[in-house]
Amino acid sequence: MPGGKRREPVSAKLEVHLDSWLREFGPRGNERVEGGSVGDVLDVLEERYPRLRYKIRDETGRLRRYVRVFVDGEDVSATTALATPLAHAQTIDILHSIAGG
Amino acid sequence: MAKDRKLRVLLGTRKGTYIVEGDRRRAHWKVGPAAHEGSEVYHVVADPRHPGDVYAAVNNSFWGPQVQRSRNWGRTWQEVATPLTARTKDRQPQFNDSDPTTPVPRPLNNLWHIEPGLPSDPDTLYLGADPHLLFRTHDRGRSWEPIDSINNHPRKKDWAPGAGGACLHTILLDPREPNRLYIGLSAVGTFRSEDAGATWTPTNKGVEAPFLPDKFPETGQCVHDVAADAANPDTFYRQDHGGMYVSHDRMAKWVRIGKPLGDDFGFTVASPRSAPGRAYFVRLNGMARVTGEGHFQVHEWNDRTRRWRKLLSPNAFPGHFGVQREGITTDDLDPPGIYVGTTTGQLFISPDAGKTWSLVPFSFPGIHSVSVANPG
Repeated sequence: MPGGKRREPVSAKLEVHLDSWLREFGPRGNERVEGGSVGDVLDVLEERYPRLRYKIRDETGRLRRYVRVFVDGEDVSATTALATPLAHAQTIDILHSIAGG
Repeated sequence: MAKDRKLRVLLGTRKGTYIVEGDRRRAHWKVGPAAHEGSEVYHVVADPRHPGDVYAAVNNSFWGPQVQRSRNWGRTWQEVATPLTARTKDRQPQFNDSDPTTPVPRPLNNLWHIEPGLPSDPDTLYLGADPHLLFRTHDRGRSWEPIDSINNHPRKKDWAPGAGGACLHTILLDPREPNRLYIGLSAVGTFRSEDAGATWTPTNKGVEAPFLPDKFPETGQCVHDVAADAANPDTFYRQDHGGMYVSHDRMAKWVRIGKPLGDDFGFTVASPRSAPGRAYFVRLNGMARVTGEGHFQVHEWNDRTRRWRKLLSPNAFPGHFGVQREGITTDDLDPPGIYVGTTTGQLFISPDAGKTWSLVPFSFPGIHSVSVANPG
């Protein structure tokens, strides 16, 4: 655009990968989703796949204890978590940490 | 339809749900396949008003809690609406234990107890959960209403969790009076409602709280389990952190009965329909939380003679066994069967009110709860 500043994208279309346990409640394969933040993406996923609701986040909206979210390979679960911006992201992996006994 | 002659023992364990099938003789048992594998199942109960219906309080450390229901005696299961949720925003915030000045929303933790309603309310069930929550459904679990008189109780900010959490684990209904119910909450005590849960009266008079500066407070007792006497619904037997008690007046006051046993700690109590005035306790060492005598033992309380009786020989089953709050139950047959599940996965059964005992030849995961579906 001549003379204008290029606008930064605020959301991204990206691939969401769920681990095999979550696929029981959601998409069987990778899912293409658009969103501005991890929270937005989960909103879309839960809308499309209602059985995912409350499996990744509890009813107060927080990530469940053993859920790990990776944005382009970086674990954001304990840092920016649901607020993580996705403007330039390409993939989200939603996995579970190893736990139990 | 032909009567179902099977007697089923329903187990909630650390790793799933098991249903063990026998019959009126209670001599031979067949262990069915596990369901809810990998989940902590705190309670499994059949709904006697709808034969074949079984409910499970399933707590999965990854997915969170779920109410699951089977319509075919456990062959298949489905999640029914779990009362997380829609009304959570209406609940008062809970308080972060490490920062009691800052309210934070606390999600539903574990589901602890599912209680089918009276035959006159065939689609009603109650659900007790952590943190100190009570729900009711009038449509067999499709939707749940929070009972705000408990969930938003004005004293709730003072209620602390017990070691197992802030669990509401006991729900008892008066078969004569549909509006009367009783609940038990860890580290809070028992309450009675005369108006179907609209208001509650604390009912802990006479129960000692040895871990508090005031030894006989109005609330704060750590009730572990309560059983109603089937023949006299005004009589209750109570296993508290502070000992074993009986009440003959709808919990208006409690009398300690466990002192002759010495250490009268334990988690669980049951009272059979076919033997009124009897209650079965599993006495544990208060420190170790296992049978302290070096063998499996069940103590019978006779409320008429006010005497205790040990039901097992010391030589029968040596060892140290843990038994949790839903770990003992009885069936409705005469003589009553007694069923005890242990934290190390044994299921002990007596078919004759404690005269003889055997062990189901199967090692289960640690058992949280035992209940019985009586033959039709």
